[in-house]
Amino acid sequence: MEPNETLDALGLSCPMPIVKLAKRMKGLEVGDVLLLLVDDVGAKEDVPAWCNRTGNEYMGMEEEDKKMKFYIKKKD
Amino acid sequence: MSENKKIAMVVSDGTFDKAMMPFIMGVTAASMGMNVHIFFTFFGLMVLKKGAKPKMGGMFRLFTGMIERRMKNAGVESLKEQIETAKDLGIHLYACSTSMNVMGVKESDLVEGVKVVGAAKFLDIAADSDVQLFIG
Repeated sequence: MEPNETLDALGLSCPMPIVKLAKRMKGLEVGDVLLLLVDDVGAKEDVPAWCNRTGNEYMGMEEEDKKMKFYIKKKD
Repeated sequence: MSENKKIAMVVSDGTFDKAMMPFIMGVTAASMGMNVHIFFTFFGLMVLKKGAKPKMGGMFRLFTGMIERRMKNAGVESLKEQIETAKDLGIHLYACSTSMNVMGVKESDLVEGVKVVGAAKFLDIAADSDVQLFIG
């Protein structure tokens, strides 16, 4: 999957990854995919919850060691 | 997109943890598209004073600096930064007018953008909120 943009939130704890994610998504076009890098374990539940609440599409997550890569598609 | 939810919080204590909680919750809620209203009363009012540096409660007071450093290392914004983030995200901050009289706090002592209200105004907002939290 080729993301349009990448947001590096490594080293940041809740609530900062979500705050930065919300800010960055505002700048994307509908249909764009954002790659979000996080290592705060809470993000595993938080990112899908954020997508559910905001109506953006949660496309999935890959985990490498303690690093999580989330793919999120911007919706209307 | 689901409809915008509304969240109302009351903060009645001004220790470090009670000061941070409403902002962590608030900026997250605002980032999720919620309308956020936070009412600061009693010692919670001290959180909104310019240059506020809340300490941990009781015997943990001595560990405030350590907790602050650990939060910084965890990549969490300081209280001052979170107040700015909250305002940028359009979070509504209210100061309890009675607490201001009791504590001798003037409007000019508070950070910019805080609205001074009574309980009725806050309850009017809380009454049609989807989430209500009490932090104290």
